[in-house]
Amino acid sequence: MFHRPVKEITAEFLAEDKYLDSIQRTVRDSCISAGFSRKNTNAVLLAMEEGATNIIRHAYLYEKGTIRLRIVIFKKQVVFSLIDTGRSFQPDGSGTLDLKRLVNSGRKGGLGFYMISKIMDSVEYISSAGYNELRMIKRIHKSSAGSVPFLRRMFSLRVKFSVWTIFIVSIIIAGSYYYIDRQTTQQLRSNLDETVSSLANTIAAQASLYIINRRSDAEFDELIVSYLQSNSNYLRLIVLTDSNNIIMAHSDDIHNIRKQYSLPLSINSDILEFPQVMDEEDKILKFLIIPIKTGETELGRVNILYSAAQLQVRLDEARQNTALLTLVLLIFGILGVYLLSSYFVDPIVKITRRVRKFTSGDLKSELPLEGAEEFFEISKAFNELMTRVSQDRENIIAREKMAKEIEVASHIQKTLLPRELPALPGLELETFYRAAEVVGGDLYDVLRIDPERFCLVVADVSGKGVPASLVMSMLRTVIQIYSTDKTSAKETLLKVNEYLQHNIPPGMFITIMLAIYHEIDKELNFVSAGHNPMLFYRNSTKKIEKLNPNGMPMGMPITIDTTFEDRLEEVTLKLEEGDAFFMFTDGITEASNRDGGQFGLERLVNTLEKQLSNGTSADTSILRKNLIAEIDDFSGFIKPADDITFVLARSITYGNNQTTETKTIKE
Amino acid sequence: MENISISLSENERDRVSEIRIDGVIDTTTSSDLEEVIESLLKRRRYMIILDLAGVDYISSAGWGIFISRIKDVRNNRGDIKLANMIPNVYEIYELLEFDKVLKSYLSVDKAHNDFEDVKEAEPGKKKV
Repeated sequence: MFHRPVKEITAEFLAEDKYLDSIQRTVRDSCISAGFSRKNTNAVLLAMEEGATNIIRHAYLYEKGTIRLRIVIFKKQVVFSLIDTGRSFQPDGSGTLDLKRLVNSGRKGGLGFYMISKIMDSVEYISSAGYNELRMIKRIHKSSAGSVPFLRRMFSLRVKFSVWTIFIVSIIIAGSYYYIDRQTTQQLRSNLDETVSSLANTIAAQASLYIINRRSDAEFDELIVSYLQSNSNYLRLIVLTDSNNIIMAHSDDIHNIRKQYSLPLSINSDILEFPQVMDEEDKILKFLIIPIKTGETELGRVNILYSAAQLQVRLDEARQNTALLTLVLLIFGILGVYLLSSYFVDPIVKITRRVRKFTSGDLKSELPLEGAEEFFEISKAFNELMTRVSQDRENIIAREKMAKEIEVASHIQKTLLPRELPALPGLELETFYRAAEVVGGDLYDVLRIDPERFCLVVADVSGKGVPASLVMSMLRTVIQIYSTDKTSAKETLLKVNEYLQHNIPPGMFITIMLAIYHEIDKELNFVSAGHNPMLFYRNSTKKIEKLNPNGMPMGMPITIDTTFEDRLEEVTLKLEEGDAFFMFTDGITEASNRDGGQFGLERLVNTLEKQLSNGTSADTSILRKNLIAEIDDFSGFIKPADDITFVLARSITYGNNQTTETKTIKE
Repeated sequence: MENISISLSENERDRVSEIRIDGVIDTTTSSDLEEVIESLLKRRRYMIILDLAGVDYISSAGWGIFISRIKDVRNNRGDIKLANMIPNVYEIYELLEFDKVLKSYLSVDKAHNDFEDVKEAEPGKKKV
């Protein structure tokens, strides 16, 4: 019912390919010490490699971490656990994996998991807030399943307890029975000896008087026969002899008188007044010789043969009664012991059953608080444990629900980001967006207002996560609606702000750069509401200018002396061939590396200047790629703290870009 | 990590390709093998024998290459046949029930013969 682990091994490894060998070594050693066959050891090694590789490849795709290995060896099974703190994964189609489907799908995904579940007897994936455990159980099949463990398992604790108690009680009872029986037998025997001895002395005293008075033979005979008859249940023979060992009287046969008396062979004639045993083995027949005396003169002897047989019969009867009584007592004892065992065993069985139910999902019903203090305490402790576990479970469920919601929000947000961008005549356009968390607060969009005018937007909603994302989607919709009505960037943004200022949750604000590009005039007209500067590259000077017109972030509390409209400044630029502009969010400039340094505006300006000064021959998509690479190289494996968004556009001569109607976004 | 060596020999007469692999097929080495097989399939050479005599170990990445291609290969009346598996590898192959999907042979010649038989018996017959 309960099994203690034989051995437990824990180890931690860096989640890198080069440590797979070390993991495998640990696993192999454990398999061997657990007694797995070579085939099973190989299979387990394969399964563990799949598990570990999956952690390295998927759980720690974006970051470095460790794999914790825990192997618990039980008598009949081994529990292998691989624990990581990376991303959790959903084993697809868990449980219903089948090879046919894998083959038909023509994919490789899921094969590792199929192999693990095929090799192991039970696989469980436990994932909760930053802790993932792949728990695999492999049973140890030993060919020679010994009979002893089987028998041992057959007997429950109750039976074991009863058997042992009865065994001990029986030994005690049998021991005391034997002792008492011996004592009684001895007592009875010595009583008999005393009785016979006093009887013999009486006969001797009478006989001495008879001899002195010279009584007749018949009188002698009568004397012994009367004694013999009145004590016939133990006296067998009485012989009176005179000092010359001539028989004076013989209880068996009167004709023996006057003959020489010969004692039975085993009897020593020198031992007087002490019972002698006729047969060393039997001890039932005894012989007693008492001298017939008058004063100090020995006149003859009384020879008595007596038997303890009658006594034995009585003893046996008594023994039978005692044995019967003992048996009855023993039966009651067994019953008592069995009932007593229930007292100890029942609570344990109850607790065990409850724990079983608990593991199969019932967290509600509590253990009744009853039994001795110890059981009371166990039940209480278990109930508390269950309450805590079910609370934790609820928390985990709530967290997972939250994670799911964020996932949904993230999905919604992805659909909100433009999937296709309109082709901008005269401009080469590149955009980039990467969310820091699952749901980001950055926004970019490129819209066609009318055949000649296009609106370009980059915005950053303060905060991250679901609320920022929701405000962002609202912002995007509002811009899409109002940009079509208005012709200048300022007018559009004022209208947007008018709508939004009442709808932005307090404490949240938006910085935005909104630009309107006029295709015919080759004019760019833009406003910035507290946003990062526009980086404008002038082909004639090969330099970048940081353009930062005045403007307050939307959602900022309006002060008395200034309004959003008053502060908003509009800038209009003429675009020459090779000129470029770059709109971005602070996710780029604030991208930090391991040492805490920031990418910074100067580095961004320099990078862009270097790239753009190569001339129009270089493709803007390469520019985009190089810039992203530069940022990623800088931050290394550090998780970005903020969304990264940018829009890069370069002015080109007409005709170069007329071929494509729309442009599909790439990541 | 152990290395892998792959040698490819193509028989122009019967269009059967033989790939001899030595080493370990795992996550790090499987891409090399995948490239070789992919190049064969691109050239529509669907009859492939893998000589695994020198392979000590195949991880899911390795099995995945065979499992993911087999359907496509068979639809083109070809096959991927495994030959000369060592006991350790064969046991896993059996345990994971890959024997229900991929055929194995004791030698490369036997695998060759099986291709011959199918072609002779009925050229148009779909191989199961």
